[in-house]
Amino acid sequence: MLLPELEYARPDTLQEAVEALAGTRNARVLAGGQTLLNALKLRIVHPDLLVDVSRLEELRQIVEDEDGTLRLGAALTYDELAGDALVRARHPVTAAMTSRIVDRQVRARGTLGGNVCLGDPTSNFPPLLVALDARLVLRGPAGSRELPAERFYLAPYLTALEPGELLTEVLLPPLAAGEGVGYESLQVGTDSWALARASALVRVQEGRIAAARVVLGCGPVPTRQPAMEAALVGGPATREAIAEAARLAGEAFAPQADVHATAEYRIAMARVMARRAVIAATKEA
Amino acid sequence: MPDSAHPIEVVVNGERHESVVLGRQLLVHYLRETLGLKGTHIGCDSGNCGACTVIVDGKAVKSCMQLAAQADGREIETVESLSEPLGPPNRLQAAFTRHHALQCGYCTPGMLMSATALLREQEAPGEEQIRRGLKGNICRCTGYVNIVRAVQDAAGTLAQGARIPGENSPRESSPRGADSPAPSRAAGAER
Repeated sequence: MLLPELEYARPDTLQEAVEALAGTRNARVLAGGQTLLNALKLRIVHPDLLVDVSRLEELRQIVEDEDGTLRLGAALTYDELAGDALVRARHPVTAAMTSRIVDRQVRARGTLGGNVCLGDPTSNFPPLLVALDARLVLRGPAGSRELPAERFYLAPYLTALEPGELLTEVLLPPLAAGEGVGYESLQVGTDSWALARASALVRVQEGRIAAARVVLGCGPVPTRQPAMEAALVGGPATREAIAEAARLAGEAFAPQADVHATAEYRIAMARVMARRAVIAATKEA
Repeated sequence: MPDSAHPIEVVVNGERHESVVLGRQLLVHYLRETLGLKGTHIGCDSGNCGACTVIVDGKAVKSCMQLAAQADGREIETVESLSEPLGPPNRLQAAFTRHHALQCGYCTPGMLMSATALLREQEAPGEEQIRRGLKGNICRCTGYVNIVRAVQDAAGTLAQGARIPGENSPRESSPRGADSPAPSRAAGAER
């Protein structure tokens, strides 16, 4: 299918990309294009200009800061992230999840930044990044700002990105001693999109859970679960205690019903995913 | 807003091409219409079926999900690169023929290119790895069993008992497959 008429630009520097985005009223960022090209074919979006950022070196780095923070460039493909030795060593759950996104063709092209910025309720990265307390570096004409992933998602397909802004990096804080990550999805088929997702970051000390962040995915936005977190903290890191706490999952969580599942089923499965994610996280810790 | 035009330089199946493409032109259209390489098929045109899979800089990608302008400077391999026209099929193609890994054949170019990328990355993939590795390619005829077997055979990981394509009558095999000498591995497996 022919795409609508549009201009394409591939700036050589991040600064030029930012200027192109800010200088054209209806410009869009193109990275891997694994969603955007379909949206163009379906005439869901009508940009005048595509700014291709996929080759910008500034967006393709993986750097570990002195404090252990991992800075991931937004234009890195899933393959590049999943295959990177540093990512695998520091964030093995993130690397493993990334290595199972969709299929080999999509993993060769799709990017971290595209996954994060689309704001699709079923996307893989959003609940994980909120659980990890990741920070997002957003670059606009006025400079860069940092935003916690938790405050980035406003509604389905709506993020805190301002017009003319571009995600440049995702910052993953280092995992402290005793911390573990869990990520669980209920998928229709192997590596497919999911009906329910949950991600957890827990710290285990002497057999007890000292801190927990639990996030549900596949709702309108990734949703923290404060009641479940509070029930976990101070309790033993046992299956029974975690299962009891997971009964509280589903707080402020309002997934849509669709042809694949009712809202009630999604909430019920989100509780199961939350329990499994926390159990997995305690094993990783 | 008018289309923008972009000069690109690509190497396709070892041959350098300089072209001018429209900003909105998809890579699959460039390959089929500009270069006349019709082996790359358009199936769903939405990134789901994988019939348009080609290898770009060593990675299998869906060419309906990439702009031609984005391929500038890249090295592209299409299904035409796997063997010479009218020449013997390569090892993977021969395995597809022996195992009846195609029926209508529409998905086959994409299957072959995904499997080619897979076999370069993994030396001896087992069934599970092959199924996962071909997940981006849909076949509506075969039920996948024979495709997986063919790739296993080409990879050398097919169990001895399953490696028996000898019952094929020459009439049922493709002329290329029947005329060309079978790879030594398969010959060794024949009873």
